[in-house]
Amino acid sequence: MLRRFLLHCFVGFVVIAVAGCERRGGCTGAWCGTLINAAVAEPGTLLPPSSEDIVANDIDEQLFLKLADVGPSENTIGDEDFQPLLAQKWEWDGPLTLVFHIDPRARWQDGPRVTAADVEFTFNAYTDSAVGSPFRPKLLRIASVTQRDSLTTVFRFKERYPEMFYDAVYHMRILPAHLLRPVPRDQWRTAPFGRQPVGSGPYRFVQWLPAQSIELVADSTFFLGRPGIRRLIWRFTPNLQVAVQQVIADQADVREQLVTPDNVARARAAQQLAVYTYRGNTYTYLTFNQRSPDDTTKPHPLFADRDLRRALSMAVDRATLLKSELGDLAKVPPGPMSELLWIWDPDIRQLPYDSAQAGRRLNALGWRDHDGDGIRDKDGQPLAFHILVPTSSVLRRQYARLLQAQFSAVGVRVEIDELEPAVVGQRVSTGKYDTAILSRSNDPSPSSGIAQNWTRAAGASNFGRYYSPEFERIVDLAVTATSRDRARSLWRSAIETLNADAPAIFLYALDNAAAVHKRVENVQLRPDSWATLLRTWRIPPDRLIDRDRVER
Amino acid sequence: MTVATWLLRRLVASVAIIVAVITFVFILVHLAPGKPCLGQDEIVDPAVCARVSTQLGLDRPIAEQYRRYLVALAHGDFGYSYSLRRPVRDALIETIPFTLQLAGAALLLDFLLGLSLGIYQARRANRLPDIILGNLTLFVYSLPTFWLALLLLLLFGEKLAWFPVGGPSDPIFCPVVDSFYCIADRLWHLSLPATTLGLVGAAGTARFQRAAMLAVASQDYIRTARAKGVPERRVVLRHQLRNALLSSITRFGLALPFLLTGAVLIETIFAWPGMGRLAFEAILTRDYLLVTATALIASTLVVTGSLVADLLVGVADPRLRVRAAREPDIVTA
Amino acid sequence: MTLGTWLALALAVVLAAECVRALRQRGLRQERWRRFFRHRTTSWGLGILVFLALVAVAAPLIAPFDPNRQLDIVYLKNHPPSWTFLLGTDVLSRDVWSRAVYGARVSLGIGALGALMAVSLGTLVGAIAGYYQRWVDAVLMRGVDVGLALPRIFILLMAVALWDGLPFAALVIAIGLTSWFGTSRLVRAEVMSLREQDFVVAARALGAQTGRIIFRHVLPNAAAPIIVSAALGVGNVLLLEASLSFLGIGIKPPDPTWGNMIADNAPSIYTAPWSTVVPGLAISLVVMSLNAVADGVQDALDPREREPA
Repeated sequence: MLRRFLLHCFVGFVVIAVAGCERRGGCTGAWCGTLINAAVAEPGTLLPPSSEDIVANDIDEQLFLKLADVGPSENTIGDEDFQPLLAQKWEWDGPLTLVFHIDPRARWQDGPRVTAADVEFTFNAYTDSAVGSPFRPKLLRIASVTQRDSLTTVFRFKERYPEMFYDAVYHMRILPAHLLRPVPRDQWRTAPFGRQPVGSGPYRFVQWLPAQSIELVADSTFFLGRPGIRRLIWRFTPNLQVAVQQVIADQADVREQLVTPDNVARARAAQQLAVYTYRGNTYTYLTFNQRSPDDTTKPHPLFADRDLRRALSMAVDRATLLKSELGDLAKVPPGPMSELLWIWDPDIRQLPYDSAQAGRRLNALGWRDHDGDGIRDKDGQPLAFHILVPTSSVLRRQYARLLQAQFSAVGVRVEIDELEPAVVGQRVSTGKYDTAILSRSNDPSPSSGIAQNWTRAAGASNFGRYYSPEFERIVDLAVTATSRDRARSLWRSAIETLNADAPAIFLYALDNAAAVHKRVENVQLRPDSWATLLRTWRIPPDRLIDRDRVER
Repeated sequence: MTVATWLLRRLVASVAIIVAVITFVFILVHLAPGKPCLGQDEIVDPAVCARVSTQLGLDRPIAEQYRRYLVALAHGDFGYSYSLRRPVRDALIETIPFTLQLAGAALLLDFLLGLSLGIYQARRANRLPDIILGNLTLFVYSLPTFWLALLLLLLFGEKLAWFPVGGPSDPIFCPVVDSFYCIADRLWHLSLPATTLGLVGAAGTARFQRAAMLAVASQDYIRTARAKGVPERRVVLRHQLRNALLSSITRFGLALPFLLTGAVLIETIFAWPGMGRLAFEAILTRDYLLVTATALIASTLVVTGSLVADLLVGVADPRLRVRAAREPDIVTA
Repeated sequence: MTLGTWLALALAVVLAAECVRALRQRGLRQERWRRFFRHRTTSWGLGILVFLALVAVAAPLIAPFDPNRQLDIVYLKNHPPSWTFLLGTDVLSRDVWSRAVYGARVSLGIGALGALMAVSLGTLVGAIAGYYQRWVDAVLMRGVDVGLALPRIFILLMAVALWDGLPFAALVIAIGLTSWFGTSRLVRAEVMSLREQDFVVAARALGAQTGRIIFRHVLPNAAAPIIVSAALGVGNVLLLEASLSFLGIGIKPPDPTWGNMIADNAPSIYTAPWSTVVPGLAISLVVMSLNAVADGVQDALDPREREPA
C-alpha cells in the first residue's frame, strides 16, 4: 500500500512539474514589461483623501495626478523648482492669489476632460470635516479654490508665506468630480470608488484581488508620455522576511525597503538584484507622555519634569543602539526629522550621551536607590515606567528591549507592553500611556510636519502633549521666512529649543535600501515617495523575461 | 432509535452548538478593550473614531447589538466589515475556497501518508524500519509548525527554487483559475503550505494508526482469519484496517477546527489568503462582525464535518448502530 | 562557561541518570513498572525530563550569564557558538545557553501548570458526564462540542485581547481553560465503560456515596488515558506557547521562554540559525520525551495492547 501511495505521489509531482513550466506570452518590443512589487501591508482604500498608508500612497501616485510636482532639487520654497503635471502653467495674480492653467490634454480614464471644476471639488472634499482627511490640517492656510473658466482654477490664500505654492500642489491629488459628487461625504471612507478608482494618471486600475494583489496597467495615451513599464502589480505578503525572499528568489522585481542589514546583505548576494540606497522619509522616536495617563488634565507624575526627561535622554547611547540594530542603514536624527528634510544637520545641538552625568542628575533630583534593589526610588515610589510598542514592527520591538537594558543600567525599571497596532494607536491618541516608540514620515517641507506634530495647535496629533511657547514662536518665524538661509537658521534654533526640552528621544532615521531587478533601467527613486517616478523606469526589449511578455 | 431520529437530534444539537459559538465569540470580542478604529497602522483622531463607531452602531448596549445581529443573520445579512471596507459576505465568499483548498490538501496528505505509514509500521512492528520511522514521526510531530514552514521555504522556495515563495497563484498569468494550466499553478502554490500542515498531521496520524492497528492485531478475529488461511493482504486490508480506521475518521473531525482558523501562522508565512489570516486580522482590528462571521462559518464546517464523520463511522461499524439504539449518544473516539 | 557551571551541569546529568536507574531497580519487582521500562526509549525520555527539570530548578547554578544581560550589542551580536558562549549569542547579544536554561523554567512551568489545569478540568467534567449520564451528560458534552468547534488559537487570541499584556498567571489560566475538551471526552468514555463493571455496581449496592465511588474506584482505573493526556498535554502547551510568541503574544520581555526565543530571533533564522534552532530542538526534545514516557505509561497501565504473536 505504501508503494501505491508513493506511485500516486510521483505521478502527482510529474503533473505539477509539467504544468509548472513557464508559460510564455508573445509580447515583444518596447511596450512590454511587468514589475511585481513584493508589498507587505494591503491598503484599506485607494481614495486619496481617505488614506494615509504608504502602499495606498504609492498606488495613488500612479493613478492620480497632482497639479504640479516637486523637482529634482526638492526645493519647496517659491514656485520655480516645481514641474508641471496637471497644471500646464501658473502665475501669481496678486500676493495672495495663484492661478493654474490646466493642461487641455489631461483626461479622466473613463473619458471626460479634467476641468477646473474637478480641482474645486477636490479642495472642498479634502477640507470637508465629514470626509475627515488626515491632509486637512495641511490645507488650512488656503482660503478657497474657485474656477475662472473650465481650464483655469484660482487659489486664494489667507496669508503670505514662502511655501504657498507647495501647499497648493503637494497634498492634494485631483479627483473626478463627475464620479464622486454623488457619494455622500461621510461615506467616502467606505465608498466603492476606493476599491475601483478612476484617475487621470499614467496608470489605469485593472483589478484588486483582496488579500492577494493589485494590478495596474499603463495608459499608452498618457499626455505626458507613455510610461516605460506596461504593467505594475503589488503583491501582498504579510511577513517581511518572506517578501524579501520572494524578491531574492526572482519571483518579484521590487522591494522598496529592505529594512535590516541582514536583508540588504542577502539582496546584494542575489545575482539578479541591484540594491539602491536613497534617503528615507521616516524617523522613529520614543515619546514621553507629559500628561497623566489616568487623567489627561493633570501632568504626568514623572515626565512633566523637564530635568527628568533630559536626564533620561542622556542615559541612552543612540549611536551604539543604531550600530547594533541597523549598521550603516540609518542615522541618528538630530531632531524630529528624517534625512529627507533639507534642514537636516548633524551639528544641531542635542543632548549628549553621558550616563554618568545622567546618574548624577537623577541623584540631584532625589532619585536614589534607597532600598538597594538596583532601582532608583523617591518617596517610596520606584523610577519605573512602561514602553508601549506595536507588535507589527520587528525593529521597534528590538529597540524596546535595547532601551530596557540601557535604562536598567542607570537604575530605571522599564516594562515593555507589546500590543496590537490598533490598540497602540488608540492608547496613544487618547493619552493612556507612559512612553511609546512611534514612527513618523516627513513631507519634503519641515513646516507641514514639525509644526503640525509638535505644537499645541496639533491637538491630538501631538502625542506627548509637548508645549513650549518659545518653540512655537521660533517655528512661526521659520515658516514665514522668505529666504532659505534665514529659514535654515531659524529652524535650527527651533530644533535646538525642542531638543533642550527633551519631549522625546529620537532614535533612528532609516536610510532606505531598495532591491530592484537588474533588468530595469533608469531607476529613479525620489526620497519623499519612491514610486513617484515609476513611470520613467524602463525595461529594454533585449532584457525581457517571461513575466514581461504576458499579453493582456 | 432509527437513523432518522438520531440525525434529527444531531442536527438540532448542531444548530444549538453554532448559536452558542456565535454568542460566546460575540461577547468575548465586545469585552476586549480597544474600540475598532480605522486601520492597522494609522493613528486616528478620536473624534473621527467616535463618529465611525456611532455610524456602525457600536455604542449601543451589547444586548441590543446582539439582537440586531441575529435578526440580520436570519435575513442572510452578515453585516459590513469596516476594517476591510466591504460587506462581510463578500470577504467570506472569497476566503472560503482558499481555506477549503488548503484544508483539503492538508487532510489528503495527512490521511494518505499517515495511514500508509501507520500500516507499514504496524506490519513491521518493533523491527528496524518501524523503530526508525517511529522516531522520525515523533520528531516531526514535535516540531513547531512555523519553524518547519520557514525551513521548507528556505530549502524548496529559495535555495532549490522548486516551489514558489508564498502566494496562492501566479499574479500575472493566473490571477483567477480559468484554465487547466491555472489549476496546476494553484496546486503548485498549494504544495508547500499543505505539506507543512500535512506532514505534522501525518506524523500524528501515523503514530495513532500504528497503535490502533496493533491493538486490533491482537484480537481473536484476526488470528482466526489467519488460521482460516485468508491471504495476509486481505487480513490487513479488510479486517485490520477497517476496524482501525474508525478512530482515525473521528480524529479528522477533531483536526478540522485547526485547519480552518488555527492555521494562522502558516497562512501568514505563505501569504495564503484563507480564513485563519482573516480571523486573526479581524481580531487585531476588533472587527466584531467579521470575527463573529468567521466563527460562524468555521463552527458550521466543523459541526458538519463531525456529523459526516459520525455517520461514516456508524455506517462502517454495526456495533455502534446497535449501541446507538440503546444510548442517546454515540461514543466516538 | 566556568568550572562551576560545568560541574553543575555534569552533576545534573549524573543525577538524572541515577534517578532513572534507581527507579528501574525498584520497579523490577512490580509487573507494571517492568512493563513501563520495557522499551529503552521510555528510560531515555524519563531521564531527559528529569535532567531538564533539574536544570530548570538549578538554573542560577548552571547558567554562566544573566539571561537578560546584553553583553555587547555591537560586537557580540549573533555570535556563533564558541567555548565562552556554548550555544552562541542571539540578536541582542544575550547568551543563548543561559537563556535556554532559564527559559526551561518558564516554558516547563507553563507547560506543567497549563496541562495540570487542563487535565484536572477535563477529568472532572468527563467523570461527571460519564457517571451521571442522561441530561447532565448531554449538556456537558454539548458544551465540550462548542469548545472543540473553535480552535484554541482563535479563542486564545480573543481571550488575550482582554488583557493589555499578559502576566504569567493569566497565560496559564487562559491555556488551561481552552485545552481541556479532548481530555474530558476520553475520560468520559473510560468512565462510561468502567461504570458497568462489577466493582462499581457492588460499591453502589453497598450504598457508597457517588463522589467516593468516582474518586476512589472509578478514576484510579481510568488513570491510563488521564496520565497520557497530561503527558501529551504538556507538549501541546509548549508548542502553543511557541506559536503565541510568534504571533506577538506571550510572556513579557525580557524574560526568556523557548517560544519567545524563537520568535525574537526569527528574522535572523537564515544568518544566525543557532538562536532559533536551540529553543526549537529543546521543545522537540521535551515533546519527544513526553511521548516516550506516555507510551510507557500506556504499556504499563493498559495491558490490552499487546504485541503480535
